[in-house]
Amino acid sequence: MNGIQVLLISGVVVIFTYYVSRFRNALIDLAALVIFAGLGIFFILFPDYTNVVAKKLGVGRGADLLFYSCILFFLFIILKLFARLKRLEDKITELVRQHAIKNASGNQKDQAAD
Amino acid sequence: MLHPDKSKPVFIIIPAYNEEKMIRDVLKGLIPLGCQLIVVDDGSATPLQPLLFDLPVTVLRHAINLGQGAALQTGFEYALSKQAGYIVTFDADGQHLPADIEKLLIPLTNGESEIALGSRFLSAGSNIPSGRKRLLRIARLVNYFFTGLLLSDAHNGIRAMTADAAAKIQLRQAGMAHATEIVAAIRKKRLRYKEVPVNIHYSSYSKAKGQSAWGSFRIFFDILLNKIFK
Repeated sequence: MNGIQVLLISGVVVIFTYYVSRFRNALIDLAALVIFAGLGIFFILFPDYTNVVAKKLGVGRGADLLFYSCILFFLFIILKLFARLKRLEDKITELVRQHAIKNASGNQKDQAAD
Repeated sequence: MLHPDKSKPVFIIIPAYNEEKMIRDVLKGLIPLGCQLIVVDDGSATPLQPLLFDLPVTVLRHAINLGQGAALQTGFEYALSKQAGYIVTFDADGQHLPADIEKLLIPLTNGESEIALGSRFLSAGSNIPSGRKRLLRIARLVNYFFTGLLLSDAHNGIRAMTADAAAKIQLRQAGMAHATEIVAAIRKKRLRYKEVPVNIHYSSYSKAKGQSAWGSFRIFFDILLNKIFK
């Protein structure tokens, strides 16, 4: 094992334990995580296999395949984050709105009362 | 008195963000109409309530700035909870004329339509600056593209609607794209609508507070993103 492999594998392990430590009862998440971490470590140890997969998909080098799939992956993450942000904004809006309505102030006669 | 039918009170919703210079004058013009006046202070830097304490108005204050669409929706929900009969939206920057409200309410009270939209292009009197005219023409086409309704004026803040129509329109766009959202709701909920000629008073103040060309790009992307993320 050379230096870069040690660095990358310890990175994967740290990220994996971090996610598992705040893991919340979604078994599918855990399964995906284990598969991704496992694949990651496997390809770090045997980088030549990425070339095999890349050739099968019509990409020249394994590193290029990794690059392309990373772009897709990050776009997916951005979309997920955007959707989550939007949900968060909706919640804040609702909260601020209910607060505003509850604390209505003014000295206006209620016309509907009569 | 604007509307004699006591069982159907008219609520005028005035969304306001940092409008402390104009808001008193705008409200003083509206008070003689005898409607319920609801100012939605959208998290202004200086709270508007202390400036308005002596006027017969209700102030709802957003703790933080959310945008005009959110402010209107807050006003709608408050008005509906108070058994409003009709709901009018009116800008706080003094560009609308209180006299136009009566014209907007006529098609509602006689049952001709459920929502009346003010249009500055149907009236002869408006002195619309030419840059603004061009921008609004594009906005009108964008509106048409997204909603399927070709209206003469895409983004006019003065409107009137029945309580039922307001209950059907759920504004989810916090920013300025709500104008398109209202039109989309008209189409989706099959609301009977009518465009009514109104006058816009372009002062240097209202022009500075109004939408810039850059603002319309923001609106465009807001609409687009909202289409993608339902």
